[in-house]
This record gives sequence, C-alpha cells and structure tokens, in this order.
Amino acid sequence: MTAALSITNYGLDYVTPAGAIPVLRDVSLAIAPGEVLGLVGESGSGKSSLAWALMRHLPANAREISGSLRLGDIDLQALGPKRLTEVRGRRIGMVFQDPSTALNPTLTIGRQMTEALMRHRALNHGDARSLAVELLGHVELRDPAAVLRRYPHEISGGEKQRVIIATAFGCRPDVILFDEPTTALDVITGARIIDLFGRLRAETGVAALYISHDLAMMTRVADRVAVIRHGCVVEQASASEIFRKPQHDYTKSLIAAVPRPERRLVHDMPGSDVLLEARGIEVHYGRRGLFRAALPPATQAVDVDIRAGEIVGLVGESGSGKSSMARALIGLARFSGAISFDGRTLHGAGDMNRAYRRDVQIVFQHPDSSLNPRHRVGDILSRPLKLYGGDPSSVPRLLEQVRLPASYATRWPHQLSGGEKQRVAIARAFAARPRLVICDEITAPLDVSVQAQIVELLLALRAETGTAYLFITHDLNLIRQIAHRIVVMRHGQLVDSRAVDAFSSEDVHPYTRELMAASPVPVG
Amino acid sequence: MSLAWLLRRLLLMIYTVAVVCVLVFAITQALPADAAQTLLGENASPEALAAVRARLGLDDPVWLQFIHWVRHAVSGNFGVSMRTGLPVAPEMLTALSRSLLLAAGSLALTLLIAVPLGMFAALRQGRVADTATSVIAYLGVSLPEFVTATVLALLLTDVLPWLPATGYVSPLEDPALALRHLVLPVLTVSVILVAHVMRMMRSETLDVLQSDYVRAARLKGLPERTVLVRHVMRNALLPVITIVALDVGYLLGGIIVIEEIFAIPGIGRALMIAITTRDLPSIQAGAMIMAVTYAITNTLADVVYALLDRRIRYD
Amino acid sequence: MTELLHRMIRKPQGAIGLALLVVLAAVCILGPWLAPYGPEKMDFLGRFRAPGWQNWLGADQFGRDVLSRLLSGARATVPLALAATLAGSAIGAVIGVASAYLGGKSDEAIMRTNDAVMAIPGLLMALLLVSTLGNGAGNAVVAIALAFAPGMARVTRSVALAVRNQDYVKAAVARGEAAPHVIFREMLPNVMGPIIIEATIRVSFAVMLFATLSFLGLGAQPPASEWGLMVADARQYMHRAPWILIAPSAAIALSAIAFNLVGDALRDALNPRDDR
Repeated sequence: MTAALSITNYGLDYVTPAGAIPVLRDVSLAIAPGEVLGLVGESGSGKSSLAWALMRHLPANAREISGSLRLGDIDLQALGPKRLTEVRGRRIGMVFQDPSTALNPTLTIGRQMTEALMRHRALNHGDARSLAVELLGHVELRDPAAVLRRYPHEISGGEKQRVIIATAFGCRPDVILFDEPTTALDVITGARIIDLFGRLRAETGVAALYISHDLAMMTRVADRVAVIRHGCVVEQASASEIFRKPQHDYTKSLIAAVPRPERRLVHDMPGSDVLLEARGIEVHYGRRGLFRAALPPATQAVDVDIRAGEIVGLVGESGSGKSSMARALIGLARFSGAISFDGRTLHGAGDMNRAYRRDVQIVFQHPDSSLNPRHRVGDILSRPLKLYGGDPSSVPRLLEQVRLPASYATRWPHQLSGGEKQRVAIARAFAARPRLVICDEITAPLDVSVQAQIVELLLALRAETGTAYLFITHDLNLIRQIAHRIVVMRHGQLVDSRAVDAFSSEDVHPYTRELMAASPVPVG
Repeated sequence: MSLAWLLRRLLLMIYTVAVVCVLVFAITQALPADAAQTLLGENASPEALAAVRARLGLDDPVWLQFIHWVRHAVSGNFGVSMRTGLPVAPEMLTALSRSLLLAAGSLALTLLIAVPLGMFAALRQGRVADTATSVIAYLGVSLPEFVTATVLALLLTDVLPWLPATGYVSPLEDPALALRHLVLPVLTVSVILVAHVMRMMRSETLDVLQSDYVRAARLKGLPERTVLVRHVMRNALLPVITIVALDVGYLLGGIIVIEEIFAIPGIGRALMIAITTRDLPSIQAGAMIMAVTYAITNTLADVVYALLDRRIRYD
Repeated sequence: MTELLHRMIRKPQGAIGLALLVVLAAVCILGPWLAPYGPEKMDFLGRFRAPGWQNWLGADQFGRDVLSRLLSGARATVPLALAATLAGSAIGAVIGVASAYLGGKSDEAIMRTNDAVMAIPGLLMALLLVSTLGNGAGNAVVAIALAFAPGMARVTRSVALAVRNQDYVKAAVARGEAAPHVIFREMLPNVMGPIIIEATIRVSFAVMLFATLSFLGLGAQPPASEWGLMVADARQYMHRAPWILIAPSAAIALSAIAFNLVGDALRDALNPRDDR
C-alpha cells in the first residue's frame, strides 16, 4: 500500500545575508492512509516549516536542498501554479494555529466556506450552501444557517476553529495538516476540538499530520509520534510506546518536563500566619461616558487569602478575571474592596505605601515587553535596589541567584532569549526581597523544557527566601505540582478554592472537574 | 454600528466646528485691520469712523462680538464683504461649488490611478516596477503644489496647445470648454494625491498579503485572481478610505495654491484675495466653510468605514 | 549611533538621503562662499542668459546668476524649515506626552480639541496666522510651527500611549517609582525614536510649506533669494527662460526628498521588524 504522504530525506535552508541557515535536515516520515502522525517539537525545531513545505507555501528565501515530498502519487515539488490550486484544499487540507486570524474579517462565514466547496466539490452556490449547513451541523455548531450569515468577529474562537475544520473536511482531502490547532484556544475549548477531531477522523478515515509542542496531548491524538529537534527527527515510535520507552535523550528530557499532577515538587507546608487577605475585590476598567455605559467589573467580589510562604494557584481561562486580580493587588487597576497586608488595610492603589510595594512584586507574562529595551540588564536590576535601599553592587549576586552569568549585567534585553529575559524579570522582582511574588502566566509563552527550568528556579528561590507566590496560570497540571492551594475563577467569579490534595475529591465544583478533564495527563 | 456611536460621532463633529469657530474668530480678531478704516478708506473723518464702528458693533467687548458673530454665522450670515459690499456667504458658497468640482475630479482621477497602481507595486515588491513607482511617488510627495503646477503647465502647454493655461468656465455654459480648463488643475492636484494614496495602498496591500487569512485562502486552493480580488483588495482598500478623507484636508489647502495659479474663482482664490485685502468677513466665512467641509467629509468617511468594516465594535 | 548610521546606509534610499542631506548642510553653511557671484549682482547684458560656462545654471530677468542665488537662498529656506519643525514638534510633543500621561477625561478633552484644530488645513492655518502676524520669513516660521503642532501632538500621544501600556512601565509604576522617573527614564527613551522619525519627515513638509508661503507672497520678501520666491518670480518668464524656474523647483524638491528619504531610512533602521 502506498503511503498517503511521504517525506524522504527532505532538507531545507533559509538563505539570509549572513549565509544559509539549516531548517530541516534529512527528514523522512511516512503516513499511511487513515493514519495520524504526531510531530512534536519546541519552537524553532522546524516543525511548522515542514508544514509550509508540504503546502508549497515557503518564503522566498527558502531553498530545498534535498529529498522529495509526495502526496500519494503526486510529486508535490513538481506542481505548477495551476495544478497546485487543484491539489491544495482538495487533496491536502490545513487547519491553522490561530482561528481568529485565519478567517477574513470582512467576509461572512458562509462566503468563506462556500468558495472552497464550490471550487473543490464542483457545486453551484445553492448546493454549496446546503452542504455548508450540513457540515457545520456535523461539527456540532448550533443553528448552522445563522452561523453562515455571521462575520468572523461575531463567533467565538472555538466556533471559528470548527468552521475551519468543517471546511477542510468538507473538501474531502486525503491528508489534513493540523498546525497546533488548539494552542490559541482555552483549555476546555481545545479539549472539545480534540474530541471532534477524533470523531471526524474515525468517520472519514482521513490521514493527518498533527503538529504540536504538547507531547502529553499528542499521545491521545496520534497513532504514531515523531519528535523533531533542530530540524532533525530524533525519534519515531507508536503513541502508546513513546512515554513508556523513550529512546532518545531529548525525548526523555521532554517527557521529564511534562507537568504531571501526581509528581509533587513542593513538599513543605506553609506557615499559619495570613500574609495577604483580599476581601470583595471588584476590578473596574473605564468609566461611564456620554452615550456609553460603564464596563461591568472584571471581577465580582473575589476573596483570596495568601499565607506566608504559601504557593497559591489562581486558575482560569482567558477572560476569567485572573489577571485583573493581579493588577489590583499591585495597584495597577482601580478596584473596590479591601486588601489587608501585614496588619494594614488598603482600599485602593493610593493606600499602597513603599513597604507594601517592596513586599509585593510581580513578574509579567511577556518577557519581551517586561524589560525596557533601552536599559541594560544591570540598570534594570539596580533600579529596585536603589529604590528599596538595597546595595547596588549586589547585581552580580542577583544574576547568580537566577542562574545567569554576572557578565549579563552589561547586555541589552534584545540580546537575551525568552527564558533568559524571564530570569532577569524574576531577578528584578527578588531584588526587592519581597514576601509575595505574583507570577502572571509567566511560563505560558515558553517551551516546556524552559518552563520546567523556570519553575525549578522559582521553587529554589522560595526555598532560599521563604517568599509566597500567587501563581496565575491556565495549566492545571502544572499548578497541581507546586501549589498548596488552588483558586479557580470563571467569568470574574471565584468558583472553587481548596487545598491541592482535596482536588481529586468528589465535591469539587463542576467547572473545576471540567477543567481537570480537559487537562489530560499523558497516556502510558 | 450603533445609534449611540452615530450620535457621539455627530456630537464630535459639532464640537469640531465649535472649536474652529473660536479659532477663526480669535485669529481674525487679532488681525491688524480696522474694519471701519478698510470700509471708508484712508480719508474718512473720525466721526464717520466712529459711526461705522458703532453700527458694526466694533466697540463691544470681544466676547459679545463673538456671540453676535456666532449667532449670525449659524444662520448662514457672515456679514458683507468689505471689498465688494455684497453678502459674503452666498459668494463663498458659489466659490465652494467651483472648488468642489475641481476636488471631485481630482479625487476620482486619484482613486482610479492610485489604487490599482498601489496594488500592482505591492505585488511586484522589490522589483523594477515597484522601485520605479516608488521613485515617482517620492517625487510626487516631495514637490509642492506650486512647483508641480508650474512644471506641468510648462511641459503640457507646449505639447498640447489647445489646453488653456488659466481661467475657469462653468460646465453649465460650455461643458467641453469647462473640461479643458479643468485638465491642468486636476492633473496637478492628482499628482500629489496619487503619490500619497498609492504609497498607502501599497503598504496596506503588503500588510494584507502577509496576513493569515490570505495565506489560508491560498492554502484552500483558491485561484490567485480570486484571492487578490476577494480577499486582498477589499481589505487593503478599507483603511485607504480613512486616508483619503484625511487627504481632503491637504486637498483643501492645496486648492488655495492651485486656484491662485490657474486663476479659478473657487474658495481658495476667494480666500487668498480676502487675506491680501484684509477683508475680515470673507476670511471668516471662507475659513469656516473649508473647516466645516473637512469635518463633514471626515464624519462621512467614518460612517462609510463603519458600514463596510463590520469588525469594529463601537462601545 | 554608528551602528544606526550603518543600518541607514545599508539601503540605497538611506544612502542617497544622507548624501543629499550632507550636501544641503554644506550649502547652507558655505553657500555664500561657494557662490561665484553675489546673489543680487545684476548684469543687464546677461539677462536670460542660458546655462553655460558664465552662469552654470543660467541667469534671470535681471541677469542675476541663478546658481549663486540658489546657493545663498538655501539659508533662507532650509534652516527656517528646520526651526519651524523643531518648534512645532516640541510644542506637539509636550501636548502629546501630557495628554497621554494625564489619561482619562483630560486626555479625551485634549485630543478631541486637538483633532478639531486639525480640521483647519495646515496651509490655511499658516495663511491665517501670517495674515495676522504680518508678512515675513520670521512670522512664517511661527505660523508653520503652530500649524504643525496638532499633528505632532497626535503622533506623540499615540506613541506614548503604546509605551505606557508596556509591562516595563507598569512594572515601574507598580514598584512605586515617582512620575518623573517613569516619564523621563522609562518612557521618553522609547518615545523619542518615533518622534524623531516623524519630525524628520515633517521637515520636508515645512520646506514645501515655507516655499509655498513665499510663493504666495506671504513669506520671504523680494529681493531675497528664497527658493519659493524665486519660482514665483520666474513664472512669468517660464517659456522664455525655463531654467530660472526649474533650478529652484529642483532645489526645493531635492531638499524635501532628502528629509523624506532620511526619515524613512531612520524608520527602517529603528524598526526591529526589518531584521527578519
């Protein structure tokens, strides 16, 4: 039987003024009809470039240096522009990472579905429309006819991804490429998209190349998994085997970095003194204007307690109000309610004195925007030292604390990698010798292996200094490894708050249970 | 687009006009011109001057004069010209209609040339055709109107001797001759606008070409022509609408020079005459009419944009 | 700084722009010494003399050497346009930064009013101001500066707002830094780049606007050899002696192009997107 898709000894370079940069080297993969191959790699591994090469959508500076790409009996590299439009969509479809940008914002959903169906299924407009209604019904969208009349901004991210999947399957291709289709979505929405994919592939028998950075999720989606690093496939194994018997060291390190709730990283108990007690916090953005109502508060009367040295996880999906809480606690957002800290009660950002601002520090999500591009690392770190009466000469010690060489003090932020920037941001927070550090999704933009190192660093710093953490995240598996207590928020409300070992009990909030079900631990 | 948004937008327009009222009045009040003296001439007796000042209310406090002025201006009465003695507003509106003809012709020509050219340059990015259009566009935005006008007149009147160099004929009287009179001024205005709009169209098209949804459209297997017309052009044109509306400001300023050079009796020329003769009511009326035209165009452009681009949520 | 220069001349546009700018600066500083004749020296035998070895760019209706007038006229045009832009940008930057820093209702009020002022086209505003202040080069500079301020205020504010929303500024606010530190140490260095770019491009508008005012008889006054004025004088002889017209027109265009090119090159050099 011929493979549905076969990649043989494929090599790819990007040519830059500084010379050729190798992107893919000697990649050989084959997908049988009806098979799903998972391709796992971290950012920069070349996994997306492989998808673009298969879709024949490479940037102008790409040079294919070796190998072949075949779709069934079609030589993809030999296709001319006209044949290519007949193969794309019809024989090989694609589902993209970010559904919010993959749909044209000025055309209706119906138009964008029917234009593909009319072209590849040789339908007239009316038939294409009824097929689109049927397809949308099949991907579990309510009232498909109404969805067709909507514009992309009028439906949610999960619904958009369903539209894209319905269009891709509707053209009946042999192979579909999935490029991180759930990364841009919330946890629960993403889990439902994965369920949908499982059902559709069983029904249609389509072959798929499923690209992701998430090894744990891959074991549930794919039949076989290939691990790619620096443009080379280092290991291929069946999905059930790879977690149990990883061969390559890199695969082993990836598996070790996957967060698993049962493997606790924190073993001590927090003190009994309450450090921070927030009562009835409502965060307000914007004010009422002319012909314009005030926005509803981003959080609704949320209570949170943090004890000295405690790690509290604050979990929720986007829009749950978890980051608004962080902004209120450090005085960046207007709020009502009261914060008691160290015996003082604060009713607003104006009540936060220097001692409070020193004791409560924050590390932001995006390392690129959290360091001033015009300041050297040394300046960035010495500023809080000067402000809070520290010793400016202890910059090397701070760098050492976050496992960076002292020579980094003279570097500019753009000379650092994402993980290194995040270390500098952490060092800046610890320069104040705080008693509470708020970590706002600080591991979200990082690769799993870097994420694991950052978590390890945070725990080491806590062991040294006894700091408490408010750790904001959407990753339930990660937070169950480190938190003493977890607070769950949804739509601005606090729905659950319990000690981490009470998480498997029966009385958890239904939403919490849903979150846990959507954050699967690896099979095997 | 909600009613509340529309109301707020209209209110903003009214506020704009109000601010312009204050500014125009403040600037013209400070003019070193004595209206009575201008009216009666150098040899007027002090008594006659005083009488005229009292009649015109020139002895009132400034704020009272302003209130009088605004009250009259709202009803379309900007007073009588100190030069001709005729009411200013009707004269200025007639002049405006001639300018609008020039402006509309130039805008139409501009869009006709600039939009396809900008898209073409974007699709040929980095190649000879793109570089050539970029160079021409650079020249276009780097030449002041009076230079373009003079050079064009110098070049074209030799080649096309039937083109009248200056003057204006109403299209109601002799459409063919009117058209011939419009050729040079319209070309001049268009050179600058084409350069500007083309550069915008090029960069917008480049942005859209790099967007995920255009990539998605291509990877769905749509033919290139469909991708360009349905997905690229539409989205690239939207921001250009706003740019063109803002260009109306340039256009109105440029028209002052163009009309002066080609002797077109439009609002720009009327304003220049008013400024050089220090004809206060005419200056006020002309400046107000220009600013209000600009405010209305911009409001309209916003509304059109909101109707076309359903994405924007106005809250 | 040298790195920036290198990045700017990497593309031919930037190199041409910088070269033009150097020439322009040299002419402004050394112009009168480089000129072969005095700018107002008349030669009635040489009226309308075509370009040649005696008058490289020809002579005008009074037999004055066009090249000499251009060289000495540079001082009457470019430095004044620079001064007007500088003043206008400074006024605009103060308004823009203040508006962004104050935020909320004051920001809205300032910006709505600023937009309303922009409803008066730049040239009209300059004309109105000049007619109030009186004709003359100095007044034209003031008028252009005031006409530019609202546009610069808008640009500055949008840049300042974008910077204000960056996490490093939030971090500074959260750790309790005083307002001057936040504005001058954290925000200003990041706001300066875009403002300088915008101002550079606006110098070319100022050159054109200044020449236009002189052309209309409201800026520099005869017998000055300001370029716009030279074009105005030459128009009636344009068919007889086109060189009197073309030389100052080209000078204006080249100066405007120089600032435009350098502004664009600066934008590219400072924009990290270009590194891809």
